Amino acid sequence: MLKKLFNKTAIKPIAALLLVGILSGCSSSASVQVTSDFPTVLSEPKPVSASIVFDESFSNYIAQPNKKTVIDLGTAQVKLLSNAFNGLFDDVEFVSDPEAVSGDHKLVIIPSIREVQVSTPSDNYLNVFEVWIKYNLEIKSVDGETIDSWFMPAYGKTPDAFMASKSSAIEEAAVIALRDAGAKLMLDFYRIPAIYGWMMEQQILEESK
Amino acid sequence: MKPTIKPSLNPISKLSSVLVLASILAGCSATTTIDEYRPSGEAIDLNADERVVVLGRRDAGHYETDREFINCVAKRMQGADIGVVPEQQFIDSIYPWFEPRTAPKGLPRLKRLMQDPLIKGQVDQQSVRYLVWLDGSTETLDQGGSISCAIGPGGGGCFGFAQWDKLSVYEAIVWDMTNLQEMGRLRVDSEGTSYLIGAVAPIPLLTPVKNDACTSLGNQLKSFFSSPENP
Repeated sequence: MLKKLFNKTAIKPIAALLLVGILSGCSSSASVQVTSDFPTVLSEPKPVSASIVFDESFSNYIAQPNKKTVIDLGTAQVKLLSNAFNGLFDDVEFVSDPEAVSGDHKLVIIPSIREVQVSTPSDNYLNVFEVWIKYNLEIKSVDGETIDSWFMPAYGKTPDAFMASKSSAIEEAAVIALRDAGAKLMLDFYRIPAIYGWMMEQQILEESK
Repeated sequence: MKPTIKPSLNPISKLSSVLVLASILAGCSATTTIDEYRPSGEAIDLNADERVVVLGRRDAGHYETDREFINCVAKRMQGADIGVVPEQQFIDSIYPWFEPRTAPKGLPRLKRLMQDPLIKGQVDQQSVRYLVWLDGSTETLDQGGSISCAIGPGGGGCFGFAQWDKLSVYEAIVWDMTNLQEMGRLRVDSEGTSYLIGAVAPIPLLTPVKNDACTSLGNQLKSFFSSPENP
């Protein structure tokens, strides 16, 4: 029985599978889909109404920071930013097209990605994987006047772990970068001088005190 | 029938074997030093309904305080009947105020954060009385020797000798989340050398530097707190 099980013909495919497994573990390319969930932000939203436009290119965004790395960020970044905007504004609508904005909200925000960069231990000679996501928020008033075009960089890193795959390390770094984007948005949005000025003009700051 | 004579080592050979073994094993133990500072020499009282959270600093550019180390220290503290809130649970519950970008680096920022009723409410809801910040990493300092492995039709094996030094440096800072003050600091340095001997089969003689640092730091942190079960 054992002889039959371990005859040469049976061993060959097992050995081939094992070899493929080992080689794929050593592969330097990574295709990552970020599927993580994000915690709800702990924040008291200000009395501001806003329409957020997640257009199709943003919702389905797939980054290719280099030839060997592909990161599907679309779904995760929509989840994360929806959550963060709900913590910033007390009245939010999410639309997929600028044409679909209802006009009942005072601000219109169109997020986009300028660039995604990845750095691996072989690039940076450190034991960390790093991901940078450079966002841009086009912030307009409801009548179409541009208030600001805000550059919002986010960064995430994760330590290199023995035997861990490159894909899972990049995914973890991307999740940390997305969480950082949420943190940056919550921390700095109302500190943008143009937003501060607009809120003073709209007398929103007085209302929220 | 001739009596069989069992070959036996003479006492000098035995002694030298023991000495060689002892020196090899001694080479695999880490040297760990702990420095401690606390304003008063007394243990911190921790009621049965009060808990501690151990968080890692992740704002340094070239390293990360790894979660494995944080979990290891937290486990050692839990073993002493100290209620420990899991790191990720606490960070998620208070998102985004304890992310690497937003986490308070000093007490003035913590005081400002705790003025927010939502944040204070979350901390109180989880009964977090003390926060322990851990900051540090384990690095390979020096490595030498070489080992090569080969395989052929007649068999294979590894030959050579390699060694590397590892250094773990971690600092712990304890904050009181109710009185918003620092309760003490600890620093652990652990250093040791590991070896890999290639004698057909590779024989690793590893020094658990990080594990030693965790054990020492965890034990010392336990002595910081006195719980009703463990005065």
